[in-house]
Amino acid sequence: MSKTIIDVQNISKIFKITKRKTGFKGALANIFHPEHEYKKAVNDISFNIKEGEMVGFIGPNGAGKSTTVKMLSGILYPDSGNINISGYIPHKQRKEYVANIGVVFGQKSQISWDLSPLDSYEVIKHIYKIPDKKYKENIERFTELLDMRKFINQPVRQLSLGQRMRADIAAALLHSPKIVFFDEPTIGIDVVGKEKIRSFIKTLNKTDNITMIFTTHDMQDIEKTCERLIIIDDGKKLYDGSLDAIKSNYVSSRIIEAEFEQLPEKIDIPYVTVSDVDKNRMKKVITFDTGKTSINSLMSTLLNNYSIKDISVKEPEIDAIISDIYQGKIIVH
Amino acid sequence: MKDIVSLFFAYAKSGIKTRFQYKLDSVVSSFAVFFREAAGIIAMYFALLKFDTINNWNINELMFLFSLIFITYGIFIVFFMALRDFSDWIKHGDIDRVMVRPRGILTQLVLCGADWLASLGHGTLGITLFILSANNVGVEWNAATILYYVISIASGVLIQGAVFLFFSAISIYFIETQSLKEIMYWNLRKFAGYPISIYNKFIQSLLIFVVPFAFVNYFPAQFLLRKPDMSTYPEWFMYISPFVGIILYIIAYFFWKFSMRYYKSTGN
Repeated sequence: MSKTIIDVQNISKIFKITKRKTGFKGALANIFHPEHEYKKAVNDISFNIKEGEMVGFIGPNGAGKSTTVKMLSGILYPDSGNINISGYIPHKQRKEYVANIGVVFGQKSQISWDLSPLDSYEVIKHIYKIPDKKYKENIERFTELLDMRKFINQPVRQLSLGQRMRADIAAALLHSPKIVFFDEPTIGIDVVGKEKIRSFIKTLNKTDNITMIFTTHDMQDIEKTCERLIIIDDGKKLYDGSLDAIKSNYVSSRIIEAEFEQLPEKIDIPYVTVSDVDKNRMKKVITFDTGKTSINSLMSTLLNNYSIKDISVKEPEIDAIISDIYQGKIIVH
Repeated sequence: MKDIVSLFFAYAKSGIKTRFQYKLDSVVSSFAVFFREAAGIIAMYFALLKFDTINNWNINELMFLFSLIFITYGIFIVFFMALRDFSDWIKHGDIDRVMVRPRGILTQLVLCGADWLASLGHGTLGITLFILSANNVGVEWNAATILYYVISIASGVLIQGAVFLFFSAISIYFIETQSLKEIMYWNLRKFAGYPISIYNKFIQSLLIFVVPFAFVNYFPAQFLLRKPDMSTYPEWFMYISPFVGIILYIIAYFFWKFSMRYYKSTGN
């Protein structure tokens, strides 16, 4: 068992928001009688993360993901609760602490727009006091792994978003951090670019045993990289566990899609609902509950009694499950 | 210390490289700054051909007074650019980037923000004015006066640094502070080019006690020139002048550091 590296206990963060009133009178009122409201961006969240783990943070916009990551990376003070990461209290020992972490902001570049990635890396080398040898090795390695040779000397403004993101990720890793936070690293990037980033992150997590925390909206990111998932909504932790466990424990309905050779008679199997997909009614969607109907018996019933051209069992769509969780249709704990 | 200097040069190198991505703009902007500021001086020169002196200050003495404003500002924008534009940093969430790096926040801001080309414009103008006036204002340049002069320059830079450190701290709470800077710095700076004794009491107090530009140029110049209008102010103002910068800077630093606790990073 590896040891706990991130220990978060009951953290909360409250933001004071000035209510904006509209119109001239409202504008005056804003100046002289500002009304505030308090929003609990993060509400009593606790979790532990072990060394070398890769954890995905998901949640709808405004759920408190970014605020949590900002508290973990020492940018924000928690209003209450404790954070201990690798022996440091991030917001109190910021300077010593951040030497051990890397942060990738999907929406804020770490590298200068007008310079080449390599020029920006030179400055980063001085900021982190990276020894020459390690610096050269890391540059060499990341250029290779992230496929950056083509553009490492080009000004960043000429790069595609995917290339810029890869250059940014390398920037956050040059000092060989033990923990890396990725805040929406694949936002706005095309499929191929996303795939490159995911596979790099995965490789690095395995080979270097770097602990990684990953916030995203893209469930594919999580499915392809993280074994563990923390779902946050409305400042609270809704779920903490594996992705597979959500699928198997909380979603028992499965779908079979079948295309018939000839129009079937009424399909009547207990606990199973059937609906049409297309106009000619040859394709059907068959929904059933794994708790009540076994997939084996259902399949054999179908194949024995009907002539079927094509049949497939669909995995539950993770996006749909997550959206059910946000809407409270599935209660997890 | 060596390490800080090397970081400063690394930033400087990348900053200059950035500017030279746009070579034409860079050259033009240095000249533009120089001529824009010089125009004010030339206007003053022609005015003085008619009046001879302003409150007993002749053209050479006035140029000497102005030179302090430009030289200190030229150095100021090498170190305090990021603080001058701090509200933009906050608005764009750039402070987050600074906070996840293992150096002092202020250290990074001070070292990284230099506007070298504007500095060249202001600095060249300041030095030109100094060269034109230094030997015609009756100052005997010896070790003591040179030392006083050099410390006064440093103090003048720190005074302006402290003023912006103060504004930056305020922008942590209010984010946008453009108009405050406009009124309290840029407008007062225009007054500060001339001997403050020509203004009414209110403006004088602003320049001495609120945004103490008087300690950037007027009192240091008085120490060296001893013009009669100094009699309206306590004499010790001239003697404390070299220390005003460091004291204000320390006070502003603590206020800034306290305020950073309230920094709310802008959300995505």
